[in-house]
Amino acid sequence: MSDFEKLGIVIRYEFLKHIRRKRLYVILGIALLVEALVLILVPTLMTGGYPKDVMTMAAMLTVGPSLAVLGAVFFAGDAIAGEYESKTGFLLFVNPIKRVVLWAGKYLAGFIATALLVVFSYIIIMIALLTIYHQVPIELFKSFGLCLLYAGAVLSVTFLFSAISKGSMGATVMTLLFIFVICGILSSVLTATGKPSWFILSAAGDSVSTVLVSINQLIASLGIDTSRYGQMMENYKPMDIGLAMLGMVIYLVPCFVASIWISLRRQLS
Amino acid sequence: MSDTIIIENLTKYYNSFLALDNLSLRVEEKANIGLMGPNGAGKSTTLKILCALIRPTSGKVYLDGIDVMAQPEQALSRIGAIIETPEFYSYLTPEDNLNYFGRLRGMKGNVLAKRIKEVIELVGLEKWSKVKIEKFSRGMKQRLALAQTLLHDPPILILDEPALGLDPRGLVEFREIISGAGREKTVFFASHQLSEVELICDKVAIINNGRLLAYEGIKELEQKYQSLEMAYLKLTGGNVE
Repeated sequence: MSDFEKLGIVIRYEFLKHIRRKRLYVILGIALLVEALVLILVPTLMTGGYPKDVMTMAAMLTVGPSLAVLGAVFFAGDAIAGEYESKTGFLLFVNPIKRVVLWAGKYLAGFIATALLVVFSYIIIMIALLTIYHQVPIELFKSFGLCLLYAGAVLSVTFLFSAISKGSMGATVMTLLFIFVICGILSSVLTATGKPSWFILSAAGDSVSTVLVSINQLIASLGIDTSRYGQMMENYKPMDIGLAMLGMVIYLVPCFVASIWISLRRQLS
Repeated sequence: MSDTIIIENLTKYYNSFLALDNLSLRVEEKANIGLMGPNGAGKSTTLKILCALIRPTSGKVYLDGIDVMAQPEQALSRIGAIIETPEFYSYLTPEDNLNYFGRLRGMKGNVLAKRIKEVIELVGLEKWSKVKIEKFSRGMKQRLALAQTLLHDPPILILDEPALGLDPRGLVEFREIISGAGREKTVFFASHQLSEVELICDKVAIINNGRLLAYEGIKELEQKYQSLEMAYLKLTGGNVE
């Protein structure tokens, strides 16, 4: 039996585990709720109903898929650490399969589950835009591609924390802190001071919405006068897509490789 | 007969703690061997190294002549194992779990489905085969672990306290299953329960502080020390757990 066949089996059963767990449906529900809130609150709170520009509305709706990416954290948090913490590894690791195949299968199953959430969110966005504006901007597909890349990068970072953590909860909390607190602070400081921030994961992830409209345009469309923020807002320039992609790839590949390397050295005692 | 399990000069340190001290042991094909010793004697460490779950500091282990450290996949294909208290994926059913592990061992289709049915019936879990494992008691998980061990009909069984958590009926059934399997397979079986070891095994290895103290037939030990219990007590310094 080839490693490729074994990889397929691991993906199938790891994906089955995601399907059977409630967290997939909880994240799906949250993504749906967020999209519904945007669709209800925007015309209610903004004078003149929905924005005139389809791109602005599309950017507002990308909050749903961005949240769906968080599914990656919950799918991958226990992927490695869980096998040691819950001792299921005592049954899984005694099977004749290379650990690298096992971890790769878990990664791909987590990615497929997250991608499903992302696809679902973008279908809702497309339906909403077609209903309201009778059009779907081509940039939405770029946003979709960037979102999938962002999901892969977040999954890799979570895998790394899962590889070094004793428990699943620790891995999940550390990843969320890293993305939202550490990356968030660094990204804000670098951008506000006019320094490049493409290499910060959350900043690169922002390209999911900024590929549609810039932060300045988005804030202005909400009726906020950006001129009162002076020079600072001018620093919020749209990020180059190539740089944003590079910013995500530098997390996706090294973090995944590092997580495999660490996991291969980890012993189940 | 050839030696199915070979343990050669096995030493294992956990940081500065010496868990195994140059342990050597050979188990013949189709022999049923009990591995006994007090808590911390090194039994689980030995079995975990045999199952490629941990690496030894030095020494070698072979299963059917295959070096476990050098070719773990090939070596693991020869065994069925229960290590520590088995935990399955709780949100899957016994059938799902056995399907997963069976497929990883190259089984599929009707052959796998038939075999899953057989082993589930063998351990008396037929009414629970489609129930999520999160609802299972410890004893039921232990039964399922035994089913998982026998699923692919391996020539070697490595069992670490396999009867833990079983009720009296479960214990009798377990003993019958292992004794039956032991006629065709090599069984290497760590346990604290001397009565179980006496009923299942022909020979015992008694270890303490990572060292082999005795490796003899149960009858020979009974002749020397009056009973297996006395042999255990004298050899391990009265440190019965």
